[in-house]
Amino acid sequence: MIRELGFIDILYLIAAMRWTLALTAIAFLGGGLVGLIIALLRVSPALPLRWLGGLYVHVVQGTPLLAWLFVFFFGLSIVGVEVSPWIAAAAAYSIYAGAFLGEIWRGCLQAIPKTQWEAGASLGLSLAEQMRYIIVPQALRLAIPPTVGFLVQLIKNTSLAAVIGFIELTREGQLTTAVTFRPFTVYLIVAALYFALCFPLTQVSRRLERRLHVAR
Amino acid sequence: MTYSLQFRDVFAAWEFMLDGLVLTLELSLVTMVSGLIIGMAGAAGRVYGPSWLRTTIAVYVEVIRNTPLIVQLFLIFFGLPSAGLKFDAKTAAMVALSINLGAYSIEIIRAGLQAIPRSQIEAGQSLGLSGVQIFRYVVMFPALASQFVLLMLATSVVSQISAEDLFHMASIVQSRTFRDFEVYIVVAAAYLALAIVFRLLFAGLYQLVFARR
Amino acid sequence: MSLVELKDVVKRYGQHTVLDGVSLTVEKGEIIAIIGRSGSGKSTMLRCINGLEPIQGGTVAFDGTVVNDPATDLRKLRQHVGIVFQSFNLFPHLSVERNITLALTVVKGVAKPAARDLARAVLQKVGLAEKIDAYPDQLSGGQQQRVAIARSLAMQPVLMLFDEITSALDPELVGEVLKVLEDMARDGMTMMLVTHEMGFARRVANRVVFMHQGRIWEEGPAAETLGRPKTPELETFLGAVLH
Repeated sequence: MIRELGFIDILYLIAAMRWTLALTAIAFLGGGLVGLIIALLRVSPALPLRWLGGLYVHVVQGTPLLAWLFVFFFGLSIVGVEVSPWIAAAAAYSIYAGAFLGEIWRGCLQAIPKTQWEAGASLGLSLAEQMRYIIVPQALRLAIPPTVGFLVQLIKNTSLAAVIGFIELTREGQLTTAVTFRPFTVYLIVAALYFALCFPLTQVSRRLERRLHVAR
Repeated sequence: MTYSLQFRDVFAAWEFMLDGLVLTLELSLVTMVSGLIIGMAGAAGRVYGPSWLRTTIAVYVEVIRNTPLIVQLFLIFFGLPSAGLKFDAKTAAMVALSINLGAYSIEIIRAGLQAIPRSQIEAGQSLGLSGVQIFRYVVMFPALASQFVLLMLATSVVSQISAEDLFHMASIVQSRTFRDFEVYIVVAAAYLALAIVFRLLFAGLYQLVFARR
Repeated sequence: MSLVELKDVVKRYGQHTVLDGVSLTVEKGEIIAIIGRSGSGKSTMLRCINGLEPIQGGTVAFDGTVVNDPATDLRKLRQHVGIVFQSFNLFPHLSVERNITLALTVVKGVAKPAARDLARAVLQKVGLAEKIDAYPDQLSGGQQQRVAIARSLAMQPVLMLFDEITSALDPELVGEVLKVLEDMARDGMTMMLVTHEMGFARRVANRVVFMHQGRIWEEGPAAETLGRPKTPELETFLGAVLH
């Protein structure tokens, strides 16, 4: 049934943004957990652990996100596991975000001078205590601007979930186009909505970055 | 239901996948060149141009960097025909990817152009014009190389407008063999191999051009 | 039993030998000044004593405990050996008080109010009692270094190690730090200092150890070793440093 593009469609598109944000949040939580583990692996004193973390990062950063989405959505259902678009998307994005966040956070941990670790160790603090009281608090400050920057990437990347039928802004755009036959207008609105989400965050990240460099 | 991994059917379709790989490579290389050109022209305009040009380029860069690639692709492939501009899938892919990469390249090259070597500030004397130039390119290179690898991976998106790239071919093989898991694992491995090759090539290029100084 | 005993210590960084069979004993209450060119191994030797540097040969013993034994609990050992670094290494995100009380509360389990009192006491000793709530970036280099000394002192160590602690300071700030060291020496602390301050070494140290190419080249009472060098290397070194 073809109908005219109306205000109601724009409202539906705006409403679909909540799924974009929900998926972003899940990806950030899942990816954050994975990223934390990866970052710790990569700075661990044990070589096999560092190697493992490195392997994970290189593999995930060298493969397209679409591949992960398809592996989890189509692949798992063939093996007999019932997979909804939500589960497939959550898994794929967590793996994807985990690699990138892990790299960012590893960089922040390694940016803390070795002398800070030594000072802590010389006072009798264990490795875990050094991390908790000395290294992580400092690394956290460094980590905020690039993490916010990656959040923007994540929001944009949720658009790919449309490809496995996940209902978010881009998918809603596809569906609206199918009904109204106005792809140009619809996708322009979709782009504008993404811009409204991403641009403010980009600015925040830039401001945080500037403030960090001034403070140093 | 037990499932045994069988890669044979997937490997049997290797010629098919090769066709897809060729398009992926073609798209990647063409886009890198055009993206670089847009990047250099745009960065120059952004840094040295008149105020209206600087603003226009800044807007272009911000819009592209804050919207998803797939939406840009859909806009160009599905949307432009109603405005009179009809592209086939392959051309639309090249246009969208170039415009996208161009924006990111402008930022990277601009940062490189505006980077002043620390030693120059600290020593209070000029490294000599050629020294500064080399430093700028040294700053740009790894970031650009990174972006190019990301672009190569991102070309998979064009499968969604039925451009017959590696990813699209994988979907076809999947629908024929029903070996979903295996197909996408093989495809992921293929992209990984490509990414590794690209990274090695760029690293080699860097060594060749810069490391000898 | 000596407080510190190094026996034939060998340390390598890859192919490069930094310590080439170093043997040294230090008794309680002694003040040892370690001098030598950069690269002679003096900092490395110091850092072996609290286990910051692993060694490839020989033994390092502190108060009977073998430091380089993998079974040794370095955490416990380090509560008795304090070290102050050239670059102060204060924790920038913590106040002066928290810098000092962190190890006290976390490692020694001291209660917070008692820890704060201890912090106040050591800050008094280094002459910075009023800076207890300041942050490191609000202090001068000399003040930061004194806080670093206080931080180590708060753990009530038996031995204090100083790794060129005045080398990174502006000349006019060196005096205030050296004064703190002299007070500590007078109080009977066992101290080992890697230093370029020859005047200080002559005045305060019992023994001077001159290191060269990873070995102890000359060793003896401070005034005698500095005043009458026996080897040409020490003579050249002193000539270059004392001009």
